[in-house]
Amino acid sequence: MTQVMYATEIRQPRLSPPKHGETWVHEVLEPDQISTAKRRFGRARLTRGTIVLLWGLRIYVLLMTYLIGVQIWNALHT
Amino acid sequence: MGMVRDNQNSVLLADGAAISPRLPAHAGQVEPQLAREDLKRAEDRRRVMVNRTGARRRPWMLLWLLIGPGILVMLGENDGPSMISYAQTGAIYGIGFFLPFIAMTFVMAFIVQEMTVRLGAATKLGHAELIYTRFGRFWGFFAMADLVFGNLLTLVTEFIAVRAGLGFFGVPPALAVLGAFLVVVAVVATRRYWTWERITMGFAVFNLIFIPVAFMAHPVSSQVLHAFFAWRPLPGGFTAQFVLLIMADIGATVTPWMLFFQQSAVVDKGLTTADIRQGRIDTALGAVLAAVAAIATVLAVTPLFTHHVDASSFQGAEFAQALVPYVGKVGGTLFAIGIFEAGLVAAITISSSSAYAFGEVMRKPHSLNNSLREGWPFYAVLVAAAGIAATLVLIPNAPLVFIVLVVNVIATLAMPPAIVFLLLLVNDRQIMGEHANTRLANFFGIGVTVLLVLAGLVFGVTTVFPKLFPS
Repeated sequence: MTQVMYATEIRQPRLSPPKHGETWVHEVLEPDQISTAKRRFGRARLTRGTIVLLWGLRIYVLLMTYLIGVQIWNALHT
Repeated sequence: MGMVRDNQNSVLLADGAAISPRLPAHAGQVEPQLAREDLKRAEDRRRVMVNRTGARRRPWMLLWLLIGPGILVMLGENDGPSMISYAQTGAIYGIGFFLPFIAMTFVMAFIVQEMTVRLGAATKLGHAELIYTRFGRFWGFFAMADLVFGNLLTLVTEFIAVRAGLGFFGVPPALAVLGAFLVVVAVVATRRYWTWERITMGFAVFNLIFIPVAFMAHPVSSQVLHAFFAWRPLPGGFTAQFVLLIMADIGATVTPWMLFFQQSAVVDKGLTTADIRQGRIDTALGAVLAAVAAIATVLAVTPLFTHHVDASSFQGAEFAQALVPYVGKVGGTLFAIGIFEAGLVAAITISSSSAYAFGEVMRKPHSLNNSLREGWPFYAVLVAAAGIAATLVLIPNAPLVFIVLVVNVIATLAMPPAIVFLLLLVNDRQIMGEHANTRLANFFGIGVTVLLVLAGLVFGVTTVFPKLFPS
């Protein structure tokens, strides 16, 4: 099941107190469009395959960044 | 703006009921507190509601109200480096393989960006926020590191484009960069998403300025048609330069900041699942406009190919100057304006993308509808991102060529992990419900992902082993 909690306790920007004249806002916006009532989803359960995929991509990015960095460094200093 | 109001200033809803701003709150109902962003977003949504379900339904007005993020992301990605990349493509290869190829890259961009529309509309959360909450801080950190680093470097290249474009008119670099920075600040100072979006769209329309330049270059229409059907000719064949231009053109169309920007903009604009159809039209329209502008840029510079002008080291202003003998002073001027516009619009959208991601991850108010007091960290990051990039461009002897070189590499390398996060999220039925990817959407989405991963690999391999392909 999705863990859903509301963000009222998480984010507390300086807000004006609700006024009667603002009721129309709650009628027009969907409940989770209100900035203090956003849905917060819990962590997704990642399968082993997904974790391997994410690690593979991360290693790919780091390795290629290093190799290309070395290549560019060499190009700039020759 | 066409709202159906009675003399009490109320709004007619789908069920015929009238909502009045003066109605009291329902007894006993505890309502969340409202920030300025909620009030402003509600004003926008009220207009949408009236045009969708009111007494006088107006589909075209509804579409006008709901378009924006898709057009901005697509025309925003036709940024300074992208237009220079298309210009180099046209100058080196002329009319041929790259015309249909560029059109195809925008189809890929549509497939990817459409998913962000559904994610934003279904969850009402930004991309960075979703990655953090669903995958945790560890993976979120990597995604953000890729975004922040890539965005900063890309922003630098946007100010380089601004400088190059205005340099054609003799504007000093410092004045050009400062002017562009002040425009970025002025647009967000409206503290209103709707105004910001419409002003930026007004700037983005100038991306189409490459179309008249293309006509001034007098391309042969039969050659253009043949290129689209045959994907030929391809002068020189499969060389290292060809591979690099392929990668550069892909990198000019699908990049990580686009995913973060469009989803955040969809949420800030207030799109809901009822608006997904219009969100798709918005994205498709943006892709078509951007593709036309990109192809027009290739066509505009084909005289350089025909006359064997070596444009391999040209930046924006050099292209405009080199084109003057072939498309006239007016054509060169329009080309330079186009390069300036490309940098300016991308500077606005990419700095916003950084600010949205910061606000989402740090759980700070993150809306262009916020007041300065409520949203100062958001606005501070936006202005700082643009300011740092603008300053770097003006540092004497700064390695700008190095930055331009690296920015496409970073974008191409960072795209595979970003698109895998996107696919995982958009297939997550716990957050997407009925709006999760269908099998067909996954077929295309995974196809694009595989293509991008392969493109990134080939790009990396050719960079590391430049002698692998003939030069």
